Amino acid sequence: MTCPLLEYRRDGGDHSFETARAYCTATETFVEPMRADICNDRYDLHHAEDCEIYESHASEASE
Amino acid sequence: MSYERYLDGDPVIITAALTGGVHGKEANPNVPETPAEIAAAAQACEAAGASVVHLHARRPNGERAFSRERFQELTTAVRDATDLVIQHSTGGTGAPDDLRHEPLRTDPAPDMASLDMGPLNRYDHLTSENTRALVGSLAAEMRERGIKPEMELFNSGHITEARRLVEQDVLEPPYYGTLIFGGGTLTRPTPGNFLASIHDLPDETLFNTLGFGPHQLPFAAMGIVFGGHVRVGLEDNVYLRRGEKAESNAQLVERAATLAETLERPVATPDEAREILGL
Ligand code: SF4
Repeated sequence: MTCPLLEYRRDGGDHSFETARAYCTATETFVEPMRADICNDRYDLHHAEDCEIYESHASEASE
Repeated sequence: MSYERYLDGDPVIITAALTGGVHGKEANPNVPETPAEIAAAAQACEAAGASVVHLHARRPNGERAFSRERFQELTTAVRDATDLVIQHSTGGTGAPDDLRHEPLRTDPAPDMASLDMGPLNRYDHLTSENTRALVGSLAAEMRERGIKPEMELFNSGHITEARRLVEQDVLEPPYYGTLIFGGGTLTRPTPGNFLASIHDLPDETLFNTLGFGPHQLPFAAMGIVFGGHVRVGLEDNVYLRRGEKAESNAQLVERAATLAETLERPVATPDEAREILGL
C-alpha cells in the first residue's frame, strides 16, 4: 500500500522535473525524498503511523 | 591542542557533501541527484578546493537508494571524474540494518564511510536508531575492508559513544569525527557547545565541523580557527546567504576555501588529506 494522498507528477507549483516525483496532494507540494519512503510504505515505514501530515489530514477529514 | 594546529598552519580538509538523502531538487534545483550530475559536481568541487567527497546514492526520481549496485554506479562515476577521497554514507533513517552495510561493499571499497554514532529524531515519528549493535557491525566491516570511519557526532552523547569505541580498540588512530550542530536532537549550535565538544573528543581525534543550514558558514569559520576540518555542501545547506539559494556545491566549497585562506590555513589537496587521515 502507498498513501492515498500520494501522486507522482512532473509539474506542480513552481516546480517542473524531467522525472515524475512524489507529490503530496494534502500539502500540494513535492515530497522530500526521505519522506517519500514513508509515503510509499517502504521498509517498516507506514504512512498512517509515521507521517504527521497524513495524521492531521485524516483527523481533519473525520471532523 | 586544536588551536595549535591553527597556529602551525596545518592544512584544512574540505569535505563536499553534495546531495544527501533528506531533501533534493524540490528544495534547490541545483542539488545533483543522478550519478552523472553528482560526478560533475564532485569535479567542480575538487577544482574549488575540496579533498573529500561525501556520497549518497539515489533512485532516478531523487528518492533514497542504499543498494550496492546504486553505490557502485555512483562511486565509479566519481572516481573516473576526480582524485578525491571517496566517503560513502551508511546513514539511512528507517532503512533496515542489512541495507546500511551495502555502501561498504563496492569494488573498490570507499576510502572512508560515515558511521552515525547513535540515535537522532527525524520528523514527528521517526528515529534513526543507530543501535550499538549496528554501529559495532558497521565499524567491524569497515575495519575488515580497510575503510576509515568518519564518526558522525550529532550530539554530546555520541562523543561518549566514540570514547567507548576508542577504549574498546574498535577504531584505529588517528580517529576522525564530524561534530554536527543544528536543531532537533543535534547539538545546539552555539560557540560554547562547539568548544565543549572539541575539548571532549578522545585523544588523537581529528575533527570535522558541520553546521546545518545557516550555521554552515559560522561553524566552518570556527572549525578552521580551532584547527579542525570543514564540511560544506547542498546536503546540509541549500542557501548561499539569507534568502539566496546556492547555485552549486562548488560555490559553497569555494567560499570555505576562501575563508581558510583568509584565515591563513592552506587548503589540503586530496593527497594531503590522505596523509592527514592516515589512509
Ligand atoms: S507526505 Fe504524508 S500525507 Fe502526503 S503523501 Fe506522503 S504520507 Fe501521504
